Amino acid sequence: MRISKRLIILFLLPASALYFWFFLVPTFSALGYSLYDWRGFGTNQSFVGLNNYVELFNDRLFWRSMSNSILILLLGGLIIFGLAFVMTMMITSGIKGRKLFRAIIFLPNVIAVIALTTLWGYLYTPKFGLLGAFFDAIGLDQLAEFPWLGPDTIFWAMLVAIVWIEVGFYLVLFLAGVDKIPEDFYEAARLDGASQFQMFRLITVPLLWDVITVGMVLWSIYAVKIFEFPFSFTGLEPNVNSYTVAVYMYILGFGQRQPIYRLGYATAVGVMLLLVVILVVMVLRRLMRREQLQY
Amino acid sequence: MVEQAVSRHSPQPARTALSDRRWIQHIPAYLVLGGWSLFTVFTIGWIALASLKSNREVFREPWKLPTELQFVNYERAWNSAKLGENFFNSVLIVGVSVLVILLVSAPASYVLSRVKFRGRELITMIYIAGIGIPYPLLFIPLFAMLAGMGMTNSKEGLILVYVSLSIPFTVYILTGFFSTLPVDLEEAAVIDGASDFQVFRHVMLPLASPGILTAAIFNFIGLWNEFQLALIFIQDPPQRPLSLGLYALKNSMTYTGDWVGLFAGVVLVMAPTILLFIILSERMISGITMGSVK
Repeated sequence: MRISKRLIILFLLPASALYFWFFLVPTFSALGYSLYDWRGFGTNQSFVGLNNYVELFNDRLFWRSMSNSILILLLGGLIIFGLAFVMTMMITSGIKGRKLFRAIIFLPNVIAVIALTTLWGYLYTPKFGLLGAFFDAIGLDQLAEFPWLGPDTIFWAMLVAIVWIEVGFYLVLFLAGVDKIPEDFYEAARLDGASQFQMFRLITVPLLWDVITVGMVLWSIYAVKIFEFPFSFTGLEPNVNSYTVAVYMYILGFGQRQPIYRLGYATAVGVMLLLVVILVVMVLRRLMRREQLQY
Repeated sequence: MVEQAVSRHSPQPARTALSDRRWIQHIPAYLVLGGWSLFTVFTIGWIALASLKSNREVFREPWKLPTELQFVNYERAWNSAKLGENFFNSVLIVGVSVLVILLVSAPASYVLSRVKFRGRELITMIYIAGIGIPYPLLFIPLFAMLAGMGMTNSKEGLILVYVSLSIPFTVYILTGFFSTLPVDLEEAAVIDGASDFQVFRHVMLPLASPGILTAAIFNFIGLWNEFQLALIFIQDPPQRPLSLGLYALKNSMTYTGDWVGLFAGVVLVMAPTILLFIILSERMISGITMGSVK
């Protein structure tokens, strides 16, 4: 419909002004800041061109954080999507309690990550934690004392927890997609003697393709900026082996117990984060470009 | 129920055999889904129960029920650890933020989805792009900006940040919702002589209320659980929202060893959102797919 220009502007203005001033402007100024050497929130900034990026390239801790983030993105994504798919197949196979399963598996998504890291932190505590007590009870003493949050295993311990949280979200997404597929497709396939797996592969997956694409984009955007879990999983200091890019960036910018305030350099890390998002979304769009199926 | 009734009235042996086999086929599904769900319910339930135990009981008898309910754990978390103060900070920060988010996003989304004007697609695209910008990129520029305005370390500053950063996602949800509404009522109202603003206020807004409620729930849960931005913008303990308070409690637990007090804190943080989810899970689950599943 058409309404007066004045009203259009009036309706758009408050949201646009806030979005522009406190979201878009900082985004673009971040690109600028990343070219400066800027320590402490004072005014002494000096232009250093791409020096921050050159330094990043040789920064081992940055690469370790980046490879952790990429590992979460790719391996975590593979596990999460795989599990969500299997569960989608199971929930839609005509079992009872469909809505209950869906709701419970989704539940971790509504809980504060800080509460969940506390829960998982306790779960992994050797001997006294839930896992330790469980192994203790079944007589596996060695496993009961195993330091899951030690440097060798902390990343994997974290990945398990992240998978546990995220599977429910993608399950819900896929299930909604499945609900849109007309039931007669399955009826017809069943009459032709198709197996459950064949129906899944030949009907569900192709018709769910759009939803999968959206899911992958959402996961990528979310995965590269994971911060809370590694940051608060262990005690006061996050373990270097579970650093993600966002954690490393925070530590460079704001420090832990000791402030570091390398603001220009930290912002360059942030820009790398944006580049990863852009790259992944571009790759996904390329990979996912398929013929649109109309039904 | 219906299926049972049907099969009782038409006893076909072939069919019963088939459904028997089906039931066996379903065993792996029940095992996986049931096991997963059980784990989730058990761990969260265990924490909730442990929050009413004594520290001694938690470590000595992790699988037993508490002998005496230790409500004193909650008193410690609420008063000594000041989570009570943090709780009310969160209520205020999140409440005001959600209200303002909807107040600014609903009119914008209405215009973007229902009104034809030049530049509409471009503006919508710019809004949606915000969803892809990773927050950490904004930490330092936003902090410098707010510091310049003297608004760091204040609830108002955090609210401003929350509102601004929540706009893209909210506009995305609401435009999706507004565009599904039928045009007839809008046109009828115009014919009846309603002004543009009246159409929005008295016709479209009430029609969109389910979508607005969904956006409100998502923003409430997201901001109630928010941690990163609060960590950056709030340093003073009295200004802290609940998530920061719990993080501080978690850190001090490293020294005090008071696990049950920490568990009480965990319950205080997660109870409101879990309750909301129990009441509104259907709406939330259908809301997740708003826009992304056509």
